[in-house]
Amino acid sequence: MMRKREFYSLVGPSMLVMVGLLLVPLYLTVKWSFQDVDYGSPGQFVGLDNYARAFTDPRFGHALLFTAGLTLVVTAVLLVGGYVLAAMINRLGRMRPVVLGILLISYVIPQVVGATMFSWLFDQNFGGVVNLAVSWVTGEDVLWFVEAWPNRIMVALNVIWSMLPFATLIMLAGLQGVSQDVLEAAQLDGAGPVRTHWSIIIPSIRGVIGFVGLISIMDILRVFDNLVPLSPQAVQLGNESLMLYIFNIAFQDGGQDLGLGSALSVLTIVVIVIMLYPFLRDVVKEARQQ
Amino acid sequence: MRSRQKQLLPAMVSILALVALSGCGAGSRVAENGGGTEVPCDVGVPQGGATVEVLAYNSSAIDPFTNTMVRSCKQDNLVVRHEPIDFAGQLQRTQATLSGDKGTFDLVETYNFIVPTYGAEGKLRPLDDLFAKYKEKYGLDGLNQQMLDAMSYDGHLYALPMQAQVFTMAYRKDVFDELGLKPPTTFAELRDVARKIQDSGKMEHPVAMPWLASADIVTAYDAAMGSLGTDLIDSARNRPNFDTPAAGRAFEELTSLMPYMDPQVTTFDQPAVQQQMYNGDAAVSIMFSGRMNDLADPDNSQYADRIAFAPPPSVEKGGKQYSSLSVDGWSIPANTEVDPDLLFQLMAVSVGQEASESAVPAAYPARKGVVTPQNSPYADAANNAIKHAPPPEPYAATSLISNAITPTVAEVVTGRTEPEEGTRRMQETAAKILKENQ
Repeated sequence: MMRKREFYSLVGPSMLVMVGLLLVPLYLTVKWSFQDVDYGSPGQFVGLDNYARAFTDPRFGHALLFTAGLTLVVTAVLLVGGYVLAAMINRLGRMRPVVLGILLISYVIPQVVGATMFSWLFDQNFGGVVNLAVSWVTGEDVLWFVEAWPNRIMVALNVIWSMLPFATLIMLAGLQGVSQDVLEAAQLDGAGPVRTHWSIIIPSIRGVIGFVGLISIMDILRVFDNLVPLSPQAVQLGNESLMLYIFNIAFQDGGQDLGLGSALSVLTIVVIVIMLYPFLRDVVKEARQQ
Repeated sequence: MRSRQKQLLPAMVSILALVALSGCGAGSRVAENGGGTEVPCDVGVPQGGATVEVLAYNSSAIDPFTNTMVRSCKQDNLVVRHEPIDFAGQLQRTQATLSGDKGTFDLVETYNFIVPTYGAEGKLRPLDDLFAKYKEKYGLDGLNQQMLDAMSYDGHLYALPMQAQVFTMAYRKDVFDELGLKPPTTFAELRDVARKIQDSGKMEHPVAMPWLASADIVTAYDAAMGSLGTDLIDSARNRPNFDTPAAGRAFEELTSLMPYMDPQVTTFDQPAVQQQMYNGDAAVSIMFSGRMNDLADPDNSQYADRIAFAPPPSVEKGGKQYSSLSVDGWSIPANTEVDPDLLFQLMAVSVGQEASESAVPAAYPARKGVVTPQNSPYADAANNAIKHAPPPEPYAATSLISNAITPTVAEVVTGRTEPEEGTRRMQETAAKILKENQ
């Protein structure tokens, strides 16, 4: 039995860090969202003005729509793609660590660096291999950076490229935990590969898939640095993510609309909670069952 | 279990190696290799010593001045510290350090666009008394008066100029000579030249300009307005000028160049324009002079020896050049606790004659007569451009208005908004800012 003093000495530091790095910034963000804030000066209470400005700014609506759409599409691709890749890697023998190492390159490269290199694939100025290939096949030049949908596709491909290794790695860990006995029993009962995956493996790693979905949604909702090189015209194309929008409003070019920026941050937290609700509900349910 | 460990080990090693490789560039101290020289630094250090924190972004044009200061003035009882940072980082830190009662930095790099705003807010220390006191000791009368004026607001000097950038035109002399063309002096001539190059089949998009929708586009618009003789603000009447004929005309003239530029020009910043010139995809480019030296560097492009330089054209015949004069300099935050005499002398040392000469050709120093055709390939063009650029707009609200109208300018240039609607919105936005900052 752990003594009280021991318990507090172990839990205390992490509680302090959480209060300092999570609760204090959260409190300040909520407080500033009701204020007109200038750097270094006490804010002035403005009631719901910042929220009213946020809701009447069409850019907020565009950013919300773009971010939500990107999150849904990319999460779906990550879940399916991550599972398929993990299943394929799981069948590999000696080559597995090599393939895993290569796969993780895009995951360990800093996002903005990866996105910049990714943008060069589509940029004629820097070679533009994909651009050339598409032109060669279709006979048309796609304007990846100034047309809304090609740009959205490019951004989505980049986010998938950078996050797929994580999804694959976690799914692989899940697959390795599936009981061999159950799989052999399914085989003896005559279940084919598709049926085995659908009826045996996927239900048994449901928790892992849910975890990947949860993390993916949180990460994609916070997409920011990828857009700097990939969508330099994001505002005009309606391809501004919520985080980029908040940055542009609160900080860009030395701007200092921290009040509106904070209100937008609070609204973003609400959106994140709404989008995570199904996954959080499952996690709570699972915890209760245990 | 052991076989799984055996498999995990190489995977972990591969990941660690990749992380290490990707981190190689992180934290590299560009400033230490960025030029500059060591000069005598005979500054009076207060008793008890001092530590001076310097905020200045890294670029080939700024580094020589920062390096000269840091290298030359470190003494037993004086610590001069500078950490590498990019321009965006500098903007944010400047904002933060100038805001409170006590700041993090004691010397900040500023530029003429932002000096009036901070000067009006009382965040920078006026330098008039220190300038007069140390004028002779540091030969400050050798600084360009136009640049000193650019760093002044409401009759007070707020920054000591170190270097300037002005729009300069680079063009492919071989292409021009072959087609019998002359460097254009007006936008009409530029269109004519561009059409002839297009018709020759040599290049599809012969004109290259930095018109990045999130930043550079507003500088381009301001340059066009300035060339037409109109500031963004009518300071005498304290009202914006977006309801004047020049506001719409500037849009017309800018968009008239689009048929000759890459269709994705509104995503191009200056490095992208440089790349177009390196690749031989464009024959004429107009951007800040700090980018010109790179174009003439054979390490960057096979076309380097075919590049020539000229002043930028004017939008209409007889007008000012399509240009923007951006002056960088040093300022003393009003909230620093370090002795202002010491800080001013550090600034003065870094913009001295020898330090300025060492910055050429990467920079266009603020000292008169330092840039010559002997030491800089674009000297004649830049010297002419400095003389004929529209004068800077030393008004407190200019930078705020400029930031606020950027998305609208981009919408008009990209054809998403009609010029009439765009200028109406810009007028409304700017009028509101002027009212708030009265």
